[in-house]
Amino acid sequence: MIALWIVLGLIALILIWGIATYNGFMVLKRRIENAWAQIDVQLKRRYDLIPNLVNSVKGYMKYEQETLNKVVDARAKAVSAQTIPDKIQAEGALTQALRGLLAVVENYPDLKASEEVSTLMEELRNTENLISFARQFYNDNVMTYNTKLSIFPANVVGNMFAFKPATFWEIAAAEEREAPKVDLTKL
Amino acid sequence: MSVFSFWEEQRKNITRSYLLIFFFVILMGGFGFLIDYFFETGPWFTVVFLGVALIQVLVGVLSGPSLVLSSVGARPINPLNPEHKQLENIINEMGIASGLKPLPKIYYIPGEKSINAFATGLKSENAYICVTEGLLEALNREETQGVIAHELSHIYNKDMLYMTLLSAILGAVVIIQVMAFRGAWLVARTGGGRSRRDSSGCAYAIVFLIVVGLLATIFAFLGRILLFAVSRQREYLADAKAAEFTRNPQGLASALRKIALTAGKVQNASIATAHLFISDPLKRKVNEKEGFFANLFSTHPPIYKRIARLEGKSPEQVLMELEQ
Repeated sequence: MIALWIVLGLIALILIWGIATYNGFMVLKRRIENAWAQIDVQLKRRYDLIPNLVNSVKGYMKYEQETLNKVVDARAKAVSAQTIPDKIQAEGALTQALRGLLAVVENYPDLKASEEVSTLMEELRNTENLISFARQFYNDNVMTYNTKLSIFPANVVGNMFAFKPATFWEIAAAEEREAPKVDLTKL
Repeated sequence: MSVFSFWEEQRKNITRSYLLIFFFVILMGGFGFLIDYFFETGPWFTVVFLGVALIQVLVGVLSGPSLVLSSVGARPINPLNPEHKQLENIINEMGIASGLKPLPKIYYIPGEKSINAFATGLKSENAYICVTEGLLEALNREETQGVIAHELSHIYNKDMLYMTLLSAILGAVVIIQVMAFRGAWLVARTGGGRSRRDSSGCAYAIVFLIVVGLLATIFAFLGRILLFAVSRQREYLADAKAAEFTRNPQGLASALRKIALTAGKVQNASIATAHLFISDPLKRKVNEKEGFFANLFSTHPPIYKRIARLEGKSPEQVLMELEQ
């Protein structure tokens, strides 16, 4: 009789643990989806910001047409990218082009002094940071989720309900990984 | 600083803080139990103490951040001012990095030239981050980001809740201490001029109340030491968390260096609000000293030790660099 109760108790405990683990996976999955949506919001914000920025610096930067064109082209590519790997690549290129622009602006004192430009620059820097923090938050959550999914005994529940590991937002270009921090912070 | 070292640091800090709070509760429980045990007063003292503690907690929770903000003369920021707009942007960035929602409201102290900042509010729905005008002027974007991340960590970790609960319990002990001594004095004054039988009961009551008062004094003293210890651990933890959010420990470290090198107190800060700030706003010597007593009675860890942890250097080296 006692043995029966012990067995029943153990089964109940395992069930409760199973439910808790399943819910833990679901919470992490939702958080990852939410983090991805955040990145999307910030990327759209960056698309909207770029035309304004380019227009306001164009007059000052007659000899920097190449830098400006790079930004405009990279934006167009990023907007039209369809698949996720393409998107990640195009966004990486856009980040690079914008960093180049920010570095060039450093060389134009009257440009930096313009209130309109400095406001836009701050907005751009803010957007760049928001994107990288959103990506960081996304990747952190993916890591927590994937780790949990691969560790015993939680992986038993994970496999039972066919949870799939999530993909990291890898940084595409090697140059972007070694991004010169000065460009974004010295302004 | 590797990716994992600050996560470890944070876990260590959490364990230590839990241990401290555990001892604090044991201490309080021991206090009530001692009285009930020695004087065979049943559960009454425990009940009264818990009642006083509950009132304290309620007062602490209800009085809220508006009191603190008005006591230092803080004003909401104005997004039309570019510097304030940048501050708002930085908070949004840290909100994304931490996943904290909703974001705290931002205030600043106009005319305050020292570099400092604090966070207040028990829940993130009703939390505030406040910076001095001096901070906005002296720190660059990266450094401000470090400071804001530190303050956001306090809210994220629910440090205000811990600290408010702890100081509420401490306040309860002090109330008991005062009540016991006053009671003893009252009994001594009104107890005379009665029959002999009464006066022996009277003496007993006086001794009893004095013993309670002395016990409360001891526990208030020990409690304060624990409160300071928790406060110091929380600062280290918030530093570690800020490094996690920004992935840039150097930003906060550099801000702390600037704070360490500028003299000047925050004008409207008091002992009651000092533990909220990122560095001691009163610039009390005790917070920068080493040694047994300094370790016990400071609300903040020595600033060079915090810089050393963030930069991965030895404390001696940072101290040398600061003194140059």
